[in-house]
Amino acid sequence: MYKIPENSEEREKRKLIETSLSNPNTSLKEFQEYATTNYGLINDDLRKEVWPILAGVDRRNIEPTPNLEELKTHPEYNQVILDVNRSLKRFPPGIPYEQRIALQDQLTVLILRVIMKYPHLKYYQGYHDVAITFLLVVGEDVAFHVMEILSTNHLVECMQETMEPTQRRLMFIYPIIYHENESLHNFLQKSTVGTLFALPWYLTWFGHSLKSYRSVVRLYDYFLASPHLLPLYVTASIVLYRADDIFKQECDMAAMHCCLSELPEDLPFEYLLEQATALYVKYPPREIEDDVDLMIKKEKEQRLIEEKQAIERRKILLSRRAASNNSSFVKKIIPQILMTKKSMFVTTISIIIGICAYYYKSQVLGVGVS
Amino acid sequence: MTTTRNPQTLMAISPEENFDFLFKIVLIGDAGTGKTCVVSRFKNGKYEESHGSTIGVDFSLKTVNIEGKQVKLQIWDTAGQERFRTITQSYYRSANGVIIVYDIAKRQTFTNLQKWIDEVRRYTGSNVLLILVGNKCDLESEREVEFSEAEAMCQFVPEILFVMETSAKENKNIEDAFVCLAAELMKRHVGNNVQNDENLVNLGQGKPVSSCSSSCNLT
Repeated sequence: MYKIPENSEEREKRKLIETSLSNPNTSLKEFQEYATTNYGLINDDLRKEVWPILAGVDRRNIEPTPNLEELKTHPEYNQVILDVNRSLKRFPPGIPYEQRIALQDQLTVLILRVIMKYPHLKYYQGYHDVAITFLLVVGEDVAFHVMEILSTNHLVECMQETMEPTQRRLMFIYPIIYHENESLHNFLQKSTVGTLFALPWYLTWFGHSLKSYRSVVRLYDYFLASPHLLPLYVTASIVLYRADDIFKQECDMAAMHCCLSELPEDLPFEYLLEQATALYVKYPPREIEDDVDLMIKKEKEQRLIEEKQAIERRKILLSRRAASNNSSFVKKIIPQILMTKKSMFVTTISIIIGICAYYYKSQVLGVGVS
Repeated sequence: MTTTRNPQTLMAISPEENFDFLFKIVLIGDAGTGKTCVVSRFKNGKYEESHGSTIGVDFSLKTVNIEGKQVKLQIWDTAGQERFRTITQSYYRSANGVIIVYDIAKRQTFTNLQKWIDEVRRYTGSNVLLILVGNKCDLESEREVEFSEAEAMCQFVPEILFVMETSAKENKNIEDAFVCLAAELMKRHVGNNVQNDENLVNLGQGKPVSSCSSSCNLT
């Protein structure tokens, strides 16, 4: 198990957590308190005990692990294998090769067990990033039950047939940003950056995007002990915290996506988590839901308009191409004739409007004087 | 604040950035065909084995010199899993070039090409350039797709400009694939300015209409 050196405050907190763990009457709330406050659950040995409690795993009902061979027939098997084989950087550095291979097999089994038990839940790339975090900390049997609970609660929207519910959820960050920093909100909207930068954060509880293992498990402490949508509030608090960085960017989608999706290594997570909790109290999901629906409606309308325009443009282009393919001589002249006609038309109209305006103005003025 | 915009790509151009052309290129194709490795090889010259799966869309920038012009490529690397498609589709829309990647050692990724081509037809602008890349050509002993089959597909699908086999691992043809695509985009952009169909308003860049708009396909 991965262990991080502890400072004196952390050692103090450890003692408290250990006492609570040895007391069978400790309430869930107490453990949630440990997980959300400073330093979280300190180290993985404590996480191994507390995470199942936070998730609500019943340790008396641990099911035996099926064997990998039995799972190979699942239609998602190949996709899972593909992602698991590429999850190298999520393992603690320096882990022996054999051990890593064994863990990767366990990870595949863990994922397939969940999606076989709940056939209505669909695997997504990134789900393996969540599963591996639990596998490393609580071991494969408990991890299965944790993933089972998470998949039917916290992550259930992400595991639907399409990503549409997830996309909608991600929109929640905008009303929060709007209420806290309107100009930042407007700047982001103007850039049309959207929410895609935050997609891997939300789908993996930041496990995919943070390089530091320590930060990942700290966030997991917090998310396990918090309402399900807290990852979105953490996203909003990160964006708000980075306002200065964001304003330095060019107001364009690519630049903005680039800046936002790259999480700085030195983010002050304890502060950001506190902020996120405060934002959640200030703007609970049910209160910003209407804002989100309005945004989605507007976006859909805009998209429809754009699609129509694109179809029109395509038609024009195709007819031009068809015309230009007809004859080698005429094709060179026709577009120019068309262009001239078009510009002549526009010019004529402008002149007429100009004359009318002049006439009208002089009339009105004339009346005024007399 | 006013920014200059490239009329073809609608990208803002900051005055200090020095380039002559800017094109948006999107990589699509089945999961695990090596899209991210292809981009990483092109961008940093490195082969990164442990990059992990792409979730959503990753973005990179790279400037190449073509015939003395600075051509800036904005590369969007998309997740291969089917369920991300509704999300990545919105990124095809304004693409100038699309690279569909398949794995020469996995037949399925080749047979799925038709689906990807349909995606391109449905969601991109009509003047998008499409190329086909058969990656992992270092795995000759595991080959499941012959190059001649890919060439035949090129014949059948007029949208495909060319097909190329690459290896991100052994750095084979990676640069060429991007540069050839960029060169063709540049050629058409220059030749096609007035007929530019994505943006009917073209300020200050008017050039005579050229007849070379649809006849350059290698089909």
